[in-house]
Amino acid sequence: MWRRTPLILFLLLYTVVSGGPFVWVAIMSVRTTPEIFANPYALPTRFHWEKFAQAWSHSNYSTYFWNSIIVVTTAVALITVFGAMAAHCLARYRFRANRPIRFLILSGMILPPQLLILSLFQILLDYHLYNTLTGLILVYVASHLAMTVYILEGFFAQIPQDLFDAARMDGYGDFEIFWRITLPVGAPALFTTVTLNFIILWNEFLYAVVLLTEDDKRTLPLGIMHFMGSHQLDVGMVATGLMIAIAPVIVLYALFSDTMIRGMTAGAVR
Amino acid sequence: MKTFIAAIVMTMAAIAMPRTAAKAEDVTLTVWTHEADEDAKVAFRELAARNLEKALPGVTVKMTWYEKNPMLAALKTALPAGQGPDVFYVEPDWTEYVDAGYLEPLDNLVNWNNIQPWARQVWVHNGKTYGVAQEAYTNELYYNKDLLKKLGVELPANAQFTQEQFLDLVKKAKAAGVTPIAQGVGDRPFPGAYILGEALLRKLGKDDYRNLFTGKLSFDDPRVVDVFKWVKQLVDAGAYPKDFMTLKLGESHYYFYTKPGALMLPMGSWYTGRAFVPVDKGGQPQDFPLGIMQFPAMDGGACNQCKTSNVGASFGINAASKHKELAAAFIDAMSTPEMGKRWIETIYLQTGIKADVKQFSGPHAAYFTELMERQNGTDYFIGGPLDLTRGQCKDSFGQVMNSAFPGGLLPVDQAIKMMNAACYKG
Amino acid sequence: MLQGLGQRGRREIDARRAAPGTLTLFLAPALLLYAGFTLYPVLRTFYNSVHTIKPHGVEEFVGLANFSELLHTDFVFWKAVGNTALFTIVATVADVFGGLLLALVLFSRAPLAPLLRILWFTPVLMSYVVVGIIWVWIYDYDWGLANQILRAIGLGAFEQSWLGDPHIALWSVMATHVWKWLGFNMIIFLAALYALPGEVLGAAELDNCGWLAKLNFIIIPMLRPTIVNLLVLSFIGKMMVFDLIWIMTGGGPLWSTETVSTYVYKRAFDWNTFDLGYPSAIAVVWFIIILIFIVLMTRLLRQRDRLEF
Repeated sequence: MWRRTPLILFLLLYTVVSGGPFVWVAIMSVRTTPEIFANPYALPTRFHWEKFAQAWSHSNYSTYFWNSIIVVTTAVALITVFGAMAAHCLARYRFRANRPIRFLILSGMILPPQLLILSLFQILLDYHLYNTLTGLILVYVASHLAMTVYILEGFFAQIPQDLFDAARMDGYGDFEIFWRITLPVGAPALFTTVTLNFIILWNEFLYAVVLLTEDDKRTLPLGIMHFMGSHQLDVGMVATGLMIAIAPVIVLYALFSDTMIRGMTAGAVR
Repeated sequence: MKTFIAAIVMTMAAIAMPRTAAKAEDVTLTVWTHEADEDAKVAFRELAARNLEKALPGVTVKMTWYEKNPMLAALKTALPAGQGPDVFYVEPDWTEYVDAGYLEPLDNLVNWNNIQPWARQVWVHNGKTYGVAQEAYTNELYYNKDLLKKLGVELPANAQFTQEQFLDLVKKAKAAGVTPIAQGVGDRPFPGAYILGEALLRKLGKDDYRNLFTGKLSFDDPRVVDVFKWVKQLVDAGAYPKDFMTLKLGESHYYFYTKPGALMLPMGSWYTGRAFVPVDKGGQPQDFPLGIMQFPAMDGGACNQCKTSNVGASFGINAASKHKELAAAFIDAMSTPEMGKRWIETIYLQTGIKADVKQFSGPHAAYFTELMERQNGTDYFIGGPLDLTRGQCKDSFGQVMNSAFPGGLLPVDQAIKMMNAACYKG
Repeated sequence: MLQGLGQRGRREIDARRAAPGTLTLFLAPALLLYAGFTLYPVLRTFYNSVHTIKPHGVEEFVGLANFSELLHTDFVFWKAVGNTALFTIVATVADVFGGLLLALVLFSRAPLAPLLRILWFTPVLMSYVVVGIIWVWIYDYDWGLANQILRAIGLGAFEQSWLGDPHIALWSVMATHVWKWLGFNMIIFLAALYALPGEVLGAAELDNCGWLAKLNFIIIPMLRPTIVNLLVLSFIGKMMVFDLIWIMTGGGPLWSTETVSTYVYKRAFDWNTFDLGYPSAIAVVWFIIILIFIVLMTRLLRQRDRLEF
């Protein structure tokens, strides 16, 4: 029992380190700014739940929230579908253009957004997609395909060829093979990329700020900046805003974490 | 056949119809601005928008409120692509918009009778005016009257200490456990350089001060070195707070008038934008003993009565706008004498609009009286280092003169060397 | 029809070949989007890098002038490169091996492992804006947690200006970045650990292998593909770090947290100019540097086998 003490201590310590800041923000989100400045670490004397209502309606958070949901779920869905298709093709089939195409897509992973932002802007303009959610979705998909294809391709390539040969012999067409074999067997990797993409895009900031100009098209990360004006720093409201932004992700994660981890863990096929 | 002819006749009639209906078409004027967190300014600009809409039916003013950095990013991407709003917020040191041709000359569009001539002058480039100043301010040295009394020091008649007296004051305050100067450079590239910059202005006089920042005067000039040495003495005596490097502008306000409290706060007179809001929003306490003194006089200073004044928030018209007259009408709607008076009374700030400042009411009338008193006999230098410097020099100003040097990270000779390397063209 | 084929039939039905039409269908959506929204902007940026944009949108071809200025006289660029390199290397190693450590701890049947798995993953879910703001508050000199804790346990003398001191600012930001991503690497490693064949571990147990030996000779070698994969992903992500630094320090103090991304952004948006030529040149040079690094890295780790999760 005593041998486990260092382990228990470590667990406690790391839990505090990783979860502590979140708890602190949660507490601050129900206190007002003057209260916080007076004593940053006190527990709330009064729970100012009205701040959430204030942020939600007065500061347009509801709009930002729904915009984020629309943009991110659509983008993640598209990335997963297109990425899986491309990854399957590159992993499974031999054809001359395979290596060059793979190199092309993979080198997209190392392109920093600052490089692309200005020209992207021009393109969206030309296609009348500037300041639209559709335009932002397309940009998100294009810019995150590379990493998804990289991860999926690596995994798909590991699936034993026997499965595919057998399927072919049983008369399955190419799409059926993709649908019935690659996707189910590749589920762990798919889970991983969906999670990763969701997290990254939910929080994406630079593209959103430049490509969306109307307030009612804005996404959540921009909404938080609303409280960080050049003049006041309304710490209390920022905390409330942060909680609204984090909440859905945490809820989703809590609901699906088990599935997700089981998905990621589901016996790696060797 | 009949239908066909009827169609032709109808079409021709439609074409021939006089375009009286055109005036009733709905126009949306787009405006981009920031300062969304300053309720008074939001109310001010939205009021002008609504007034315009009432005066011109069919017109809608759509204002997008940004934070400053996102607004800059948005402008810099939209304008080169021929997009962007009809009207947008600009500041006088953003000359790149003028150079690149994105701002429309306003000489024949805006009603200049309502604008102060010096405010107009700030925006004149190559004989044309490109922006309309809304906000004007001066650099002031605010202080806590009670704390000064407690330290046993009395303000001279002209409200200006000498170099010696000022250094002494700093030491006295430090000894009494009071932070002498509340200042922070955590989120701005200029506050740390207030004391240093204003001292340079008074020591060098207007011309050489300009020359210094435009690369014509070397930082090795003995007068400049003297000033740097004096400021170093202040820094070493503990003038600035320990977290100077990371303290944010808004936090420095709070530091000065609420907790933990400091003796002085050098700040632009837009100080009021934060200070005069309700206490629970971060404003100063009701009975705070606010005083204003002049920045210290320099020994052998060429212009100890000089003071920096500047134009801040301004508005310009997009050269690619399709509604230029309407845009000008909006700017005019923000610049009427009534709006000018409203600006002063609700925002407590000076303005480029011609307004009657003799009679203002309100809880802060006393403050404004004292502010006006401190302007007596002043020789203004319009513009600050950020307006005069460009490129690498501007960047170094922010990192060296504003941040590292007053933060105690650099000795005098290194600071001088770095500034010369970035700015001096001689 | 297919019954009589048996083993030899495999040669004729090659599941590795598909009709061009099928290939196109699989690849087209991804490639089209990619070409339209990624390739073109990249080419445009390369184009911009050899031009200077003068007033009134006039583009002037300047050849390699931007590059020359960048490589010879731009001291901020080189400082940024140094910072980015340091940040990338240290944070990547800390990230990946820290994640491995956490995964091992959870794998060794620690109490409450399933709950901890969830809790320890939460930082990953937060956006950079959230993480940045929270940690700026933690690092605050006066009322931030970091210094308060030091004072509370009597180590007040060690209180620092975590983000204001040029010598430690970069390390402070690094710590935050690692804090955010540890959980992700942990989950991946955990999945990989669970996928390890039980027999091998069981056999090792029977052979009376010590805990450390088991680690060194069995677990780590078997996890090698995962480790390499995560190193590459982490490396790439940290090379491009922008959001966190922008929120926490903006590149200061005294350029000690300036990275190539923040510098590109500043030159493009913050300096008083509309010239995109120079920032494009910076981005191009950086792209080439990263490319070389990635090639070297993969060569070094001799990534022959495909990476797996």
